[in-house]
Amino acid sequence: MDNLARAYLPRIAGLALASVSFLAVTAAEAKEITIWCWDPNFNVAIMKEAGARYTKTHPDVTFNVVDFAKTDVEQKLQTGLASGTADALPDIVLIEDYGAQKYLQSFPGAFAPLSGTVDYSGFAPYKVEVMTVDGQVYGMPFDSGVTGLYYRKDYLEQAGFKPEDMQNLTWDRFIEIGQQVEEKTGKKMMGLDPNDAGLVRIIMQSAGQWYFDKDGKTNVTGNPALKAALETVGKIMSANIYKPAAGWSDWVGTFTSGDVATVVTGVWITGTVKAQPDQAGKWGVAPIPKLSIDGATQASNLGGSSWYVLESSAEKAEAIDFLNEIYGKDIDFYQKILQDRGAVGSLLAARGGAAYEQADPFFGGEKVWQNFSDWLAKVPSVNYGVFTNEADTAVTAQLPALTQGMPVDDVLKAIDAEVSAQIQ
Amino acid sequence: MTNGIGRAASALLTYGLLGLMAFLSVFPFLWMVLGATNSSIDIIKGRVLPGEFLSTNVDKFFTQVNAPLVFWNSAKIAILATVLTLAVSSLAGYGFEIFRSRHRERLYRAMLLTLMIPFAALMIPLFIMMGKAGLINTHIAVVLPTIGSAFVVFYFRQCTKAFPSELRDAAKVDGLKEWQIFLFIYVPVMRSTYAAAFIIVFMTAWNNYLWPLIVLQSNETKTITLVISSLASAYYPDYGVVMVGTVLATLPTLAVFFFMQRQFVQGMLGSVK
Repeated sequence: MDNLARAYLPRIAGLALASVSFLAVTAAEAKEITIWCWDPNFNVAIMKEAGARYTKTHPDVTFNVVDFAKTDVEQKLQTGLASGTADALPDIVLIEDYGAQKYLQSFPGAFAPLSGTVDYSGFAPYKVEVMTVDGQVYGMPFDSGVTGLYYRKDYLEQAGFKPEDMQNLTWDRFIEIGQQVEEKTGKKMMGLDPNDAGLVRIIMQSAGQWYFDKDGKTNVTGNPALKAALETVGKIMSANIYKPAAGWSDWVGTFTSGDVATVVTGVWITGTVKAQPDQAGKWGVAPIPKLSIDGATQASNLGGSSWYVLESSAEKAEAIDFLNEIYGKDIDFYQKILQDRGAVGSLLAARGGAAYEQADPFFGGEKVWQNFSDWLAKVPSVNYGVFTNEADTAVTAQLPALTQGMPVDDVLKAIDAEVSAQIQ
Repeated sequence: MTNGIGRAASALLTYGLLGLMAFLSVFPFLWMVLGATNSSIDIIKGRVLPGEFLSTNVDKFFTQVNAPLVFWNSAKIAILATVLTLAVSSLAGYGFEIFRSRHRERLYRAMLLTLMIPFAALMIPLFIMMGKAGLINTHIAVVLPTIGSAFVVFYFRQCTKAFPSELRDAAKVDGLKEWQIFLFIYVPVMRSTYAAAFIIVFMTAWNNYLWPLIVLQSNETKTITLVISSLASAYYPDYGVVMVGTVLATLPTLAVFFFMQRQFVQGMLGSVK
C-alpha cells in the first residue's frame, strides 16, 4: 500500500505545481490601452484600425482590443462597476446609445467627462445629447444609425413610381404606394417583425420625441409622436403591406431574398443590402417618410454606439487623447472605415473626404453617403433616458393589441402603465 | 388476429413516439452540423441540406479565432475543475456518509440549501473576492468557485450509501489508515460513480459561461464559449462560422461521453453490485 502511495504522491505534487502556473496574470504593460467592444468585423476591426493609426504617431502607446458579445460587455461592465474593483475594468468601453444614460446616471463618476477636450460642435448634435448629463459631456460619439428608406427601383417602376416620387413621402403616401406595389408586382412593401419596436422608435424620433422628455420623465400618454408612430405601424399592419418576420435573421431575409420593395432602417444595413450582387443597380435610397404632425422631419436614427473612457483608467490621459486625435479629427480614418466596414461615424466633417464623395454604382450612381451625411446632421436630438429598453419591451408587448384594433389611446395607456410598473 | 393488429398498433405508436422524441433531440444537432457546411445566407433562409461551404467556414473560423489557444484555455479549465471537484467533493461526500457527528444532518441540509441560491446573486461578492485576491483574469479564478460543488457532494454521499461498511472494517483490521482506505479501497470500488461525476462536472465546466465571462478579461484567457458568443453577436453574424465553432466546441464533451458511456450508465444505476 505504501508503494502505491509513493506512486501517487508525486502526481499530486505535480498537479499542485501545475496549478501554480495557472496563476499567470497578464501583466499590464506601460501605456497599453485596453478596449472592450463587440462585433469582430465591425467595432473591433475599426478600433484596431484606429489604434494602429495612433500608434504610428505615438509609438509608446499600444492597444489591446478585447471582443465580447454586446450583452456580455454590458454584463461585465455592470459587474465591474458595481463591485468597485477598478482593475476589473478596461480603459475604453463601447456602450450602445440607448443604454448610455443608464450607465452614466447609475454610476456617477465612473466615466471621464470629455467636454473641454473634445470639440463636440463638430459632431451630429443628437449623438452628443445621448452622452450629456447635467451639462457635462462624456464619451466620444461613434457610429450613427441615421435612417434611410432603401427601395427597389425595379419594383416601384413596375408599379408606376419614379425615384422622384419616393423623396418627400408622408407615411400615409408610403402606405398608398405600398398597396399599389402589391397590386402591380405582388411584392409586399416592407418586412416587419411584430416583436421589434424599431420602426416605432424610428418614427417617434423623426418627430423629435422619445419615451422620455428632456428631464427624463415618462412621456407616453401625451406624446403625439409616439401616438402617430403607433397609428402608422397599425395602418401598415391593417393595410397588410408588410411581410411578417420572426426575428432579426428572418427580417434580413425579407429583403435579401427580394421579397419586399423597401427597407426603413439605419444606415448600417447598407453592407447587408449590398451583399447581394445580383441586386446591384436595383436599389435607391431616399429620406424616410415623415409624419403629419408638428416637428416632423425626414431624419431619424436607429441604434448606434459610442466610446467611453473609464475614470479609473490608469491610462486615462492617453485614452482621451487617442479618441480625440482619431475619432475627433482624423477625416481620413472615417473614409477608411466607411470603405472597409460600411461604418458611418458621427463627425460631420467626414463628409468632405473621398469615400463620402463617391457615387455608388450599386445604388445606380447615387451619392448615398453624401445623402446620409445630410440627414445625419438633421436627426432630432432626444433624451434616450435611463429606461429605453424597458419602454421598448412595453411597446412590443402592446403591438399585438394594436393590430387587433385596440384604440391607440388605450394602447398608450397600457404602455404607460407597464413602463411605470417596470421603472418602480 | 385482432390481437396481432392491436400489438402492431401499439408497436407503431411506441416507435412513432420514440422516433419523434429521437428526432426532436437529434434535429438541433443535425442542423448544427449541416449549418457548418452552408453559407450564412443559406442558413438564414433555412436550408437543412449539406452545402459546399464547409472548408470556407472552417478557414474563416481558424483565421478569426486563435483556436489552439482558446481550446487549450477551455480544456485547461475543464480538466482542472473536474479533477479538483472530484477530489474535494468526493472526499466530502465520503465524509458526510461515513463519519457520524451530532450536527452532520443539519450541516448537510445547510449545504444542500446553497443549491437554491442562483449564481447571479453570488456573482458580485465572488467577483469582489477574486478582485481582492488579485485573481481577476486568471483561470484559477474560474476554477476555484466550482470545486466545492454541493451537487457533487450530494451525489457522492448518495452513492456512498451503497459502499459496504464491511470493506472499510476489513481494511481497518488490515491496518490501513483512513486516507489509505479512501484512496485504495473507496476510489477503485466507486470508479463508475467517479466516471459519471466526471462527465457531469466536465460538461458543466466546459460549457460554463457566465462566470468565465465575468472574470476573464483578455483575448488571451478567453474560453471557447465566450468566443462563440462574441462571433454570434456581430451585427451580421456569419452563422456558418458560428456553426463550425459550436461543432468543434461540442466534440470534446461528446468524446468524453462516448469514452465513459458504459461507466456513466453503471454509475447512474449505482456503483456497487
